[in-house]
Amino acid sequence: MTSAATPADIDTISAPARESLPRRSAAAATSVLVLPGVLWLAVFFLVPIGIMAVISLGAVDPSGHITLANPGLGNYAHALDPDFIPALLRSIYYALATTILSIGIGYPVAYWISRYGGRHKVLLLILVMLPFWTSYLIRTYAWMVILRDNGVLNGFLLDTGLINEPIPILNTDVSVILGMTYGFLPYAILPLFVSIDRLDFSMVQAARDLYASGRGAFRHVTLPLTMPGIVAAGLLTFIPALGDFVTPSVLGGAQTTTIAKLVQNIFAAGRDWPYGSAFGFLLMGVTLIGTLLALRSLRREVIGAGV
Amino acid sequence: MSERNLPGLSFNEALDQKLAQANWSRREFLGRVAAFGAAAALTQLLIACGQAGGSPSAAAPTPTPQGTTTAEATAPPAPTPVPTPEDKLFVYNWDAYIGEDTVAKFQDKYNIEVTYDNFPDEATQIGKLQSDGKGGGYDVSYPASTWVPSFIQDGLVQKIDHSLIPNLKNLNALWQNPDYDPGNAYSVPNFWWTTGYAWDPRDIPGDLTSWAELWDPSRKNKMSMLDDLRECFAAGAFRLNLSPNTTDLGELDQILALLEQQKPLLRFYTATDQITDMVNQVVEMAHCWSGDWVQMTYDKPRFKYVIPSEGSIKGNDVMIITAGAEHPIAAHLWIDFNLDPEISAASTNYIGYMGPNDAALPLIDDYIKTDPRLNPPQEVLNELIELKYLAPADLAQYTDRWNKLQA
Repeated sequence: MTSAATPADIDTISAPARESLPRRSAAAATSVLVLPGVLWLAVFFLVPIGIMAVISLGAVDPSGHITLANPGLGNYAHALDPDFIPALLRSIYYALATTILSIGIGYPVAYWISRYGGRHKVLLLILVMLPFWTSYLIRTYAWMVILRDNGVLNGFLLDTGLINEPIPILNTDVSVILGMTYGFLPYAILPLFVSIDRLDFSMVQAARDLYASGRGAFRHVTLPLTMPGIVAAGLLTFIPALGDFVTPSVLGGAQTTTIAKLVQNIFAAGRDWPYGSAFGFLLMGVTLIGTLLALRSLRREVIGAGV
Repeated sequence: MSERNLPGLSFNEALDQKLAQANWSRREFLGRVAAFGAAAALTQLLIACGQAGGSPSAAAPTPTPQGTTTAEATAPPAPTPVPTPEDKLFVYNWDAYIGEDTVAKFQDKYNIEVTYDNFPDEATQIGKLQSDGKGGGYDVSYPASTWVPSFIQDGLVQKIDHSLIPNLKNLNALWQNPDYDPGNAYSVPNFWWTTGYAWDPRDIPGDLTSWAELWDPSRKNKMSMLDDLRECFAAGAFRLNLSPNTTDLGELDQILALLEQQKPLLRFYTATDQITDMVNQVVEMAHCWSGDWVQMTYDKPRFKYVIPSEGSIKGNDVMIITAGAEHPIAAHLWIDFNLDPEISAASTNYIGYMGPNDAALPLIDDYIKTDPRLNPPQEVLNELIELKYLAPADLAQYTDRWNKLQA
């Protein structure tokens, strides 16, 4: 029992050994591991996108079938009609509001779970994900019951005498943003939790030792170090929120049409797949540009945070 | 027709007999399905039935001894199918648009497992049926009659074998030969409706008659319109004394302008929630179909409905068997079952839509039958207009304006 290696010994031995691993075989191992994911993306993401791209150049012939006889960009020009801008701006507004609210609500929750969850952390995270066990559509319909003029919320406000007659909440901007925030909140909490949980709190401690106020330490240490999580949470909320169709159509009304509804109208009521595809591509372009801009403006902070 | 091949037997008796025969060889039948495919197995069964009944079906292909060689003969367009225990059926219909226990009764009677799927709006339905050009995996669906000509042209539907649907005789004479499908060759009429609006007389006293009520600014936020571009444009067209089937761009712009005046007053456009939202008093007036109103009155008997005086839409839907139906025989059985007087009347009594089924009339509740809003006299029906199928280029003009309206 004299030659038992201490953990420190193992470290000193394995570190150079790791260095000396042939790079090529490491790369090969990585590609094998990545292959299923790449294949999945290629088959179920790139191929449909490619089909969409081709279709978007076509048209619908008089019998209602898609034809590529005279390919062109006419569908894109058609989709750029300024009459549709109100719906686009409204979609961006909903998505931004949802993102800000989700991060605003999600950050303290994630922080609390990470710092004070203790041995209940896993349970608390499961609770965050618990809503996923029920269909999103059903949960959205449940909000209808709550928000209706004669629903739970208005009933409560009337009973307590806070209001004299029901306030219309359902089918307004408020109900749409509320529903979307509710739906996307878990997508914000999880990445925020990961980045906060990874944060080395001795850094915060150090800041405090160097006479930073609690607020100062948060602003100059915690926040920058968890910025990658905030960016991830923002993207995971903003992108699906921008294209969300279910929430606005269930909780929205005549004045809350989003761009996704217009696309749906073109595909379904209009049965014009080429035009709908072009419309979808433009929306994708807007999302991509928005994402790149967001990443660019945040890159300095993210890189500064050591990612 | 092969119905005549079964003298002295009603269709149902004959069918029960055949099913009994089929049950006798059910295991064999299923084995054949697995081994040779349905076509070959059907042929086998057909031969068996022919021998047992002593009178081979006239319309059937000449039975040959080897099942395998007749497989090509039974390829689509399918020759006369013989009632067989296909054990599954896929039906695609509106929600709440059939008798409460029709599906259960059918399953009990024929021992066929029915997958009964619903769609939220017509656009989704048509999209799904057209997705693979032959019915999207469903055997039977219920499109509006206006779709039938284009479905026939596209080969999306298959011919109905009238010999398998003896209950067709129950149809009113007016429905035996509809314009959209002469002789009901590819479709069987299901129910018909009118379009109008329903309101709560507690909020809105008096008798309303005009489409203009849906433009009344005093009811801002208390009205809904159907999320159906054709119906909304039709409502506008009637107000302007235009045809609801217009394709004139100037007229469409006029209608759009009128609908744009209305939009700020509306709580929402919906094709699924008009009933619950009226019943829950989210809105006090709703653009809806006649049967929607009947279903509202189950909760709120005071609600009223009118077919507006400027004119309105009448329509009917049909049962079709898709070209890609994998269970064409079960599909025929389903259609026949739905034309049964008792089943048809039970559906009408439950959903409030009148059907074309004369034999069902005595069994239909009086309050539906005698209500001129649900069962308008013929002279009123004659005034109502059917929405016509629009060519893609014309539909695109509607869709574009509809999107501009909603944006």
